[in-house]
Amino acid sequence: MRHFLLLSGEALRDAGRRRIVIVVVAVSLLSIMMIESCTGCEMQVNGEPRSLEAFAGYTGAATYLVLGLWCVVLAGVLAAEHLAQTLADGSANLTLSRPVSRATFALARLAGALCIALITAAVLLGTTAALLHTRGGLAIAPAIPAALAVALGAVAVGGISMAASLALPRVACVMLAFFLVAVSSIANLVTLASPESRGAMFFIDQAGPPLLTSVALALDPWFAEVTVQAHAGSVWGRLALWALGAPAALALAFQRIELGR
Amino acid sequence: MTALELAGAVKRYGARTALDGVSFSLAPGEALGLLGPNGAGKTTALRLLLGFSRPTAGGVSLRGGDPWRPSSRRGVGYLPERLVLPERMRVARCLALHGSLAGLRGADRDQEIAEVLALTGLADRARERIGNLSKGLRQRVGFAQALLGRPEVLLLDEPTSGLDPIGVRDARTWMLAARERGCTVLVSSHVLSEVERTCDRVAILHEGRLVGSGPVDELVAPGENLEDAFVRLVESAGAA
Repeated sequence: MRHFLLLSGEALRDAGRRRIVIVVVAVSLLSIMMIESCTGCEMQVNGEPRSLEAFAGYTGAATYLVLGLWCVVLAGVLAAEHLAQTLADGSANLTLSRPVSRATFALARLAGALCIALITAAVLLGTTAALLHTRGGLAIAPAIPAALAVALGAVAVGGISMAASLALPRVACVMLAFFLVAVSSIANLVTLASPESRGAMFFIDQAGPPLLTSVALALDPWFAEVTVQAHAGSVWGRLALWALGAPAALALAFQRIELGR
Repeated sequence: MTALELAGAVKRYGARTALDGVSFSLAPGEALGLLGPNGAGKTTALRLLLGFSRPTAGGVSLRGGDPWRPSSRRGVGYLPERLVLPERMRVARCLALHGSLAGLRGADRDQEIAEVLALTGLADRARERIGNLSKGLRQRVGFAQALLGRPEVLLLDEPTSGLDPIGVRDARTWMLAARERGCTVLVSSHVLSEVERTCDRVAILHEGRLVGSGPVDELVAPGENLEDAFVRLVESAGAA
């Protein structure tokens, strides 16, 4: 555990020095400014003034979902390079010549990359929830399990992306992260919209990580007239399995590879 | 118990054979120089010994265990040929990290770091960022991290690479000092004179095969030096 904490601290410092972090900070600031502006404006429908409370549920949930999924993608993008780079430049060799297990090293690198994505998620989702609560009157409690769902999704996608980076180039892993989040979210959305359908999208929804379903389910109290039709136990169980399985697959894959250089 | 051993180790990368049935072992406290032309398999042998890769056939052991297991690498210092250190990290912090990974704690670790900094001539560079150091000074940092925790086994791949003549002399002193306190040393090098001065025995690899091994005075024929013996053994292996 001591080695894991030491190495994840180093991995977090490495992740913090990457240029992509500047982009993440800029995009996050823009997002917060946009949300602040949108929740502070006065709205009119057919010339009639409407308060934010009338729209806050759906727009709040949609905003939360988009930002949450962006954080999940970010975890995949960061993880795509965070371990592979140390293998490519040979810096991993020095660490692994010490009595450090490969699983510890790989999971510490994953933790470092995930920390950036999770800090971003905490800032973005926390600010969104706070603004929607104070200005739109939405309950803050559903935002907490929704943020947990985002965190679990980030662990799953980050783990898959990092495991893939042991065999694929960075660009392919980044595309894989985007593809995984996009396809599973579309499948989740299609299945939520038509629960009776049993096509390919239903299969992907059931087999893939319920990234969108889990957040939507948590935010269910925000929807005024619609109830999210999904079995909570199954959704959270599948998400937890993915969040445990992806890092386990990473550790297993890293255990088997031969170190280069 | 041997400190390290390759027993008929074979390593193939696809169709290419990097090591072909190589065997040698070192008892605790011995020093072996691993010699060979470029591509002879020296670094592959070190990689097998550190558990970076698995042999295709044959056996490898480090401190009596499978080097793939982290516990076998306890008490091992390693200096790679291509040393990559974190550029933004300060020298002292880099050594603190490696000291902690080597199992050192608290005041013992700080004491040990102060000692290796003084030994490697880096005491006044402790606060500098590694990225600001010259190649030779970085190599000294590499040596310092390898010597941390008084390792029982020292694996050095081209240890004098990038060092100036004073650095080369210092490196020899550090290796001999490590030997004096009972450390097992395996040095892979092109610099035959260095190996001759620091090791009891040499093993000469050529195209993945062991073409000669033993104490230097047994390998060297009358009127030869180690360089002559090296060239003779490699050329006769190439002709065969």
